[in-house]
Amino acid sequence: MTATTAPSTSRSAAGSHLTGLGIVNSEWIKLRTVRSTVWSYALIVLASLGMAVLMAGTIDFGGAEVPADQRNSVILQASTFGIYFGQLIVAVLGVLVISGEYSTGMIRSTLTAVPKRIPALAAKALVLFLTTLVVGLVSVFGSLAIALPLLGRSGIEPDFSDGSLLRDVALSAVYLALVAVFALGVGTILRSAAGGIAAALGVILLLPTIFQLIASLTQAEWAANVMPYLLSNAGTGIFTPSFDGSGLEQWQNLLVVLAWVAVSLIGGALLLKRRDA
Amino acid sequence: MIKAEGLIKRYGAKTAVNDISFTVKPGMVTGFLGPNGAGKSTTMRMIVGLDRPTSGSVTVNGKPYADHKAPLREVGALLDAKAIHTGRSAYNHLLAMGATHGIGKSRVTEVIGLTGLDSVAGKRVGGFSLGMGQRLGIAAALLGDPATLILDEPVNGLDPEGVMWVRQLARHLAGEGRTIFLSSHLMSEMALTADHLIVLGRGRIIADAPVAEILAANTRTAVKLRSPYAPQLAQLLQAADVTITSTEPDALTVTGLTAPAIGDLAARNGIALHELTPVGASLEEAYMDLTQDDVEYHAGGATPVATPAPATITEEVAR
Repeated sequence: MTATTAPSTSRSAAGSHLTGLGIVNSEWIKLRTVRSTVWSYALIVLASLGMAVLMAGTIDFGGAEVPADQRNSVILQASTFGIYFGQLIVAVLGVLVISGEYSTGMIRSTLTAVPKRIPALAAKALVLFLTTLVVGLVSVFGSLAIALPLLGRSGIEPDFSDGSLLRDVALSAVYLALVAVFALGVGTILRSAAGGIAAALGVILLLPTIFQLIASLTQAEWAANVMPYLLSNAGTGIFTPSFDGSGLEQWQNLLVVLAWVAVSLIGGALLLKRRDA
Repeated sequence: MIKAEGLIKRYGAKTAVNDISFTVKPGMVTGFLGPNGAGKSTTMRMIVGLDRPTSGSVTVNGKPYADHKAPLREVGALLDAKAIHTGRSAYNHLLAMGATHGIGKSRVTEVIGLTGLDSVAGKRVGGFSLGMGQRLGIAAALLGDPATLILDEPVNGLDPEGVMWVRQLARHLAGEGRTIFLSSHLMSEMALTADHLIVLGRGRIIADAPVAEILAANTRTAVKLRSPYAPQLAQLLQAADVTITSTEPDALTVTGLTAPAIGDLAARNGIALHELTPVGASLEEAYMDLTQDDVEYHAGGATPVATPAPATITEEVAR
């Protein structure tokens, strides 16, 4: 390393200034240049395709004919089964995207470049949402493409006539992307990987079990009433229409999930703005 | 130009920065000196808005840092060499930082070259040595070609060549009319690099003046002499404001009198001198004198470090 002469005024930095698009671009570079991101997304796609193969390949109705009105439902399940696993991965990823900055001190660089702070979090959320959405769409439609021929052997043919099948498959990817943003908010609030992952997975996995237990042990009606509003229950409801028409509509489930995301992200934003970095 | 007014930062019951006001002017290197825990880093973090002052305000070129349209072009800051994601390569780190301001690849390559990181730019930062991390931090600070540069302990972990490089860089950038504000807990480093010093101790400003002035006010020049008649000479030199210490039978160290004055006095009394050497008091001692009441963490118990200890004075080396 030689003692280089210092820079004179640089033309390449002149005229540049902070822009929303620039911040989004910065967050996109950050997201794709860390190995854990690439691995997590690859794992989601692989797991999703694998589960579609498993489910569509092993499903057995004992030779009985599947009723026409339930065929789409079976196809939907095979295509979106990976989402149940994928939501756990994106929950971890969403937390890591911000907790990794806190644990390494990167957050100070980020907030020095974007001193208003909120735009940095917003850009992170947007980039994470879009990237996860794309990965989710690739996963579920890839799964659909694998499941269709396998299920076709059992005589389960899709009915695309009303578009609801494709819409529901796509909606499952939307849910996946929203979980990632929810976890980002949790990570921003807690600032640590361990705490953030525990909290995010707790909400997704543990809360339904806890309320289920309360409801069944104490026969408490309120616990049963809360169940549909839990993140993962409402999330599943976004892309799996209820058979009997009970419970929430798909759009209502989407609103519930959006509320979870909003609370977590706004909570994170308020704390990010207020706290010392 | 950095201007702080009545800056106070408290963490719970502890006051890290206690009502300080100062101005860092462009076109020169301003050193920010103080022992560990004096509040230097906290002050620097408040300048770029990472920490919120409990009260008071600080502006950069007339505005709070966050209100600037292009913060990275206004201020480049090296606050903590570890403010970098360890899983990302140096190049990608700089690219992501620059992207916020639309600063592209050409400038990233430029600062990598400037800081001598070419050979490691593609490697993940987690494997960097302290010195390389420091260079990368400086590269990030230079990204926006900023008018003001804030460097917190920039020479930490650098090899001698690196130290020299930072010194030259700071001086060069100040020569271009930029505002350079760098902290250190080493007086000797500051004396070589800075034009102006702000000395901080326990969150308060102890001194804010040109380097030369601080040195002149806080150093007493000592004179070392050897004479076979040292005890007799010591008798003659006795006066108010004169301190005489002796470590060897024939050697004296005198403070409070100049070498010519001692030489003349010896000649008038017919005392032979074998050695008469003015010894510049060490900068570190000047600094210790300045901060001894304000050091937060004393080594070994509660006694101040700089109690007059005759034996140590002769150890000084002219710089």
